[in-house]
Amino acid sequence: MKFLRSTLGYCLAGVVINGFWGFFLNKFGLLGAYGAALFLTGSMWYINHYVGLIKHDEDSAFIDMGLGVAISLVAKNYIINGVNSIVNSIPTLVYVVIGAALGGYVAVLIEKNNRKTNCEKKF
Amino acid sequence: MLGQAIITTIFGAFLFPLFIRLLWGRLVTRFGAIGGFLAAITIVGTIWIINHGIKYHLIQQGRNGWIDMGLAAAVGAFAASVATGGEIRKSFVNVSAAVVGGIISGIIIVYMI
Repeated sequence: MKFLRSTLGYCLAGVVINGFWGFFLNKFGLLGAYGAALFLTGSMWYINHYVGLIKHDEDSAFIDMGLGVAISLVAKNYIINGVNSIVNSIPTLVYVVIGAALGGYVAVLIEKNNRKTNCEKKF
Repeated sequence: MLGQAIITTIFGAFLFPLFIRLLWGRLVTRFGAIGGFLAAITIVGTIWIINHGIKYHLIQQGRNGWIDMGLAAAVGAFAASVATGGEIRKSFVNVSAAVVGGIISGIIIVYMI
């Protein structure tokens, strides 16, 4: 049950975000990305992570819906362009993973340092 | 890939999870669900334009493949939650759900074209 509803959540995110992002860009140009981000990413985030269609265990590591979006585009390019498309995007994949892991870790370091030096503003 | 392309790709992937981790949760605790929509339009919109939209974008792609910056968000949030004590073994269900759901949605998108 948990697997099924999580699968539905990732699948829905992939279809909605990848399917309609191009519509906003064609209609409004580059700044249409802001509309797409608000309507598509915002609503999918609300369903998946705020309401909680994608279910996580208590102390499980967090898997964002972005993974579903990225895998959906890889699968689409594999169906259209064949195995070539996966092979020539391997360098991009490696460097994106390196940079992203670094970014998440640096954010945690900033948070820890803020807590230690007590310089984060309290709302 | 050229050296400059490697540096811009790593930097573009570095920016996105950094902003998400530092802004998104705080906006949600401050404004509730409205804060999440605010974070979506500011972070995702701006960083998408920098990473994929403008002519001199940061994440350089291969010839006909496409690696979306959503992968950067997922990997970065995963690394951050592991660094703060999340267990990797318990997330395998979600990873396999993401793979299955992503492949199904890729097939649906091909049918939509």
